[in-house]
Amino acid sequence: MLKGFTRNFPLFKILTEEQVEAIHRGTLDVLQETGVSVYNERALKVFKKADCDVNFETKRVKFPPGLIEECLRKAPSSFRVKARNPKNDLVIGPGNILFFNFPGTGTVNLDTWEPRTATEKEHVNLIRVLDALPNVHFLNAYPYFGFSDGIPEIMKEIEGVALRMRNSTKVTVAIANNDIDIFTIKMAKATGTEIFANPNTSSPLTYYTDQVNACFLAAEYGLPSMIWDGATSGGTAPASLAGAVVLSNAELIPFIVLIQLLNPGARVSVANLVLAQNMTNGAPAFGEIGVSLHNVAFNQVWRKYGIPTVCSSCGPTSSKRIDFQLGYQKMMPTILSAISGSSVLQLYSSIYGEITAHPIQAVLDDDIAGMIGRFLEGIEVNDESLAIDLINEVGPIPGHYLDKAHTRNWWKKEQLVPKVADRLTYPEWMKAGKKSCIDYAKERVNEILAVHKVDPPLTDNQEQDIERILKEAKEHYQKKGLITDEEWEIYKEALKESGRPY
Amino acid sequence: MSKDIFQNLKKAIIEYDTERAASLAKEVMEKKIDPMKALDAMTEGIRQVGDGFGRGELWLPDLAGAADAMSSAMPIIEEEIKRTGAKRVSLGTVIAGTVFGDIHSIGKTMVCTLLTAEGFEVYDLGINIKAEEFLEAAKKYNADILAMSALMTMTAPEQKKAIEYLKKEGLRDKIKIMVGGGAITEEFAQEVGADGYDPTAPGAVKLARRLIGN
Repeated sequence: MLKGFTRNFPLFKILTEEQVEAIHRGTLDVLQETGVSVYNERALKVFKKADCDVNFETKRVKFPPGLIEECLRKAPSSFRVKARNPKNDLVIGPGNILFFNFPGTGTVNLDTWEPRTATEKEHVNLIRVLDALPNVHFLNAYPYFGFSDGIPEIMKEIEGVALRMRNSTKVTVAIANNDIDIFTIKMAKATGTEIFANPNTSSPLTYYTDQVNACFLAAEYGLPSMIWDGATSGGTAPASLAGAVVLSNAELIPFIVLIQLLNPGARVSVANLVLAQNMTNGAPAFGEIGVSLHNVAFNQVWRKYGIPTVCSSCGPTSSKRIDFQLGYQKMMPTILSAISGSSVLQLYSSIYGEITAHPIQAVLDDDIAGMIGRFLEGIEVNDESLAIDLINEVGPIPGHYLDKAHTRNWWKKEQLVPKVADRLTYPEWMKAGKKSCIDYAKERVNEILAVHKVDPPLTDNQEQDIERILKEAKEHYQKKGLITDEEWEIYKEALKESGRPY
Repeated sequence: MSKDIFQNLKKAIIEYDTERAASLAKEVMEKKIDPMKALDAMTEGIRQVGDGFGRGELWLPDLAGAADAMSSAMPIIEEEIKRTGAKRVSLGTVIAGTVFGDIHSIGKTMVCTLLTAEGFEVYDLGINIKAEEFLEAAKKYNADILAMSALMTMTAPEQKKAIEYLKKEGLRDKIKIMVGGGAITEEFAQEVGADGYDPTAPGAVKLARRLIGN
C-alpha cells in the first residue's frame, strides 16, 4: 500500500457549525425546489424509481431531502483502491493525504515558455516521471491531453491509458467522454488494476449522458468514482463564495445519489475544481485566493457528509513560466487544502491552467508535496523531543548540539531536505555554476528517465489484451465515423514507427 | 586480537560512539598495542565518514559525531605515542581554531574533521582563540599550517595580529596560513596576509595539500 502523509493535528475550520448547516440546508433546498437537468434516460428511470420528482420531457429531477441524506450516509468515509502492483494500492480517506497530477493539454518550450503539443515520447516521459516520484500516489487521466504523432483525437486518451498501463503501476483515472471509459475500464480490468470512474458535472446543475454513463460503468465494474465539479464563480456559479459552495454541493450530490442507488456503499470521492472567473478576459482566474476560501469551506461541509474530498484547484496557476508566481499559486492553496481536510491534492506537473504541464514541474512539485507532508506530520512532544536532559547537559557556550547522538537521531525527522531546492551558500553556488531549482529539477528528470523501471512490466498476456482492446476501440470509432479514412491511414503509418508501442 | 581492537576503534568512530572509542584507547594503552596502528584505524573511520559526507550521504551531525568520538580517544593515544617514542607520520601538522571574538565552531569542526580524514595531524584549539594562543600552539606542535576560522569580518584585527606574532617570532615563512568562514572572501584573505582561502570544507582540504606542496 502506498502510504500517504498523516495529518497529526486538528483540522483548520473557516465556518461555524451554523454556517455549515446553512450551506447544507441551502443545498437541500436547491435540489428539492429547482433540481437538476439529467440528459440520460437510464438515470431518469433510476431516480423515478427512488421517488424523485422526475419530468421525462424537460429532463428535470428534483430530490427529496430524505433520499439525499440516506445516500450520503451510505457512501463510505474511507476506502481502498487496488493497483496493479499492491505496493501502489491506495487508501482514500481522512487523515491520509495523497497527491496526484493535474493535466495540461500540452507541454511548454522551456526557452520561450510558449505552449506546444507534446510528442508521444514526451507523454510517456511525463508518465514515467510521475510513476517514479515518491509522493505521487496515483495518476490522473491524460497527463497531457494528447500527443502530436498521428493519432486521431478520439483515440488519444485510449492510447494514453495504454501508455499509463505500460509505463506505470499506479492507479489512474478513466475520463468519461464518447465511450472512452468503456475501453479504458476494460484495459484496467485486463491489467489487474482498479481505475477511478470519473463523472463530471456541467455547471450550472446539468448532467450530460456520457458523464452519467460513467456512474453506470462504475456500478457494473464495481469501481470507485471520483466526481468533479468545475464551475467558475461569477460565470457558471454565484460570485459569492458561500453560494458557490451551495451550487457545487448541489451538483455533486445527484451523482452520489445515483451511484448509491445503483450500488449501495459504493466508493465515492468528490473533487473540487471551482475557480473564480477572471473578469477581464473571462478565463478562469487560476490561483486566485478566493478559490482557497471556497475549498476550505467545501472541505468542512463534506466532512459533515463523511465523504473524502479531493482538491483539484491547487494544481493550475495563471503563470506561463515556472517562476515566483507559479510557486505561490501552487503552495498556498495546497497547504490550505491539506490543513482543512482534503484527502487528495491534485498538485503535480501543471503550469498554466489545464493548458500546460511539464515533468520538470512535477519534480519541483514533489518538493512542495514533501514540505506539506512534513508539515502535516506536526510536532512530536515527549521526553525525548523536549530534550530537557540534553539542554541541561550542553549548557551555555562552548556547549553545542552538533555532535550529539540526539541531533543525529532527530534532525532528519524534523527537517525535510528538499530534492531540488537551491540550498547552497553564495561561494558554493558560484562554484557549482549558479544553478537554480529548475536546473536541479532538469537533472533529476534526466536521472529518473535514465534509471526508472516500471515494476512489474505488463505480462505478454496483458499486453495482448491491451492491443485487443485498442483494436476494438478503433473499430468502434470507425463505425461511429469518429475516425475518418484519412485519419485512419495516418494512424496506421504512425503505429508502424520504430519504438512503438512505447 | 589487536586486529579486533583496530576494527572496533574504526567502528566506534563510524558509529559516533565516544565512550567506546575512549575505552578502546585505554585498552590500547593497557595491552601495549601499537598506538600508531590504532591511530590509523581511527583515521580510516574518519575518512569513511568524510567520504560519506562528500557523497552527500552523511551530514554535519555525522561528521561532528565522528570527530567527537575521535577526540575522546586521541589524548590517550597521543600519550601512548609519546611514551613509546613512535614517530607519527602525517601529511603535516595543522593548528586550527575560531579566532577571538567569534564563537562559531561548525565550519571549523568540519574542516578539522576532513583534514584529519585526509591524513593531517590536526590540533583543534576550539573557539574564541586569541592570537597568543595560536602562536603558542604553533610553536608547541611545530605546525605546518595555521587555519583560522571566522564568521564575522570584525575579527580581522585578531587574525592580522596572529600573523604579526608569527613574523616577530621568525615563524611566518615556516607556517602556511589559511583562513575561512562564512563572511571571509578572497580579498579579505589577502588583506590579512593569509596564504590561502577556500569557501568550502572539502576545498579547504585541497588548499591545505597545495599549501604544503603535496
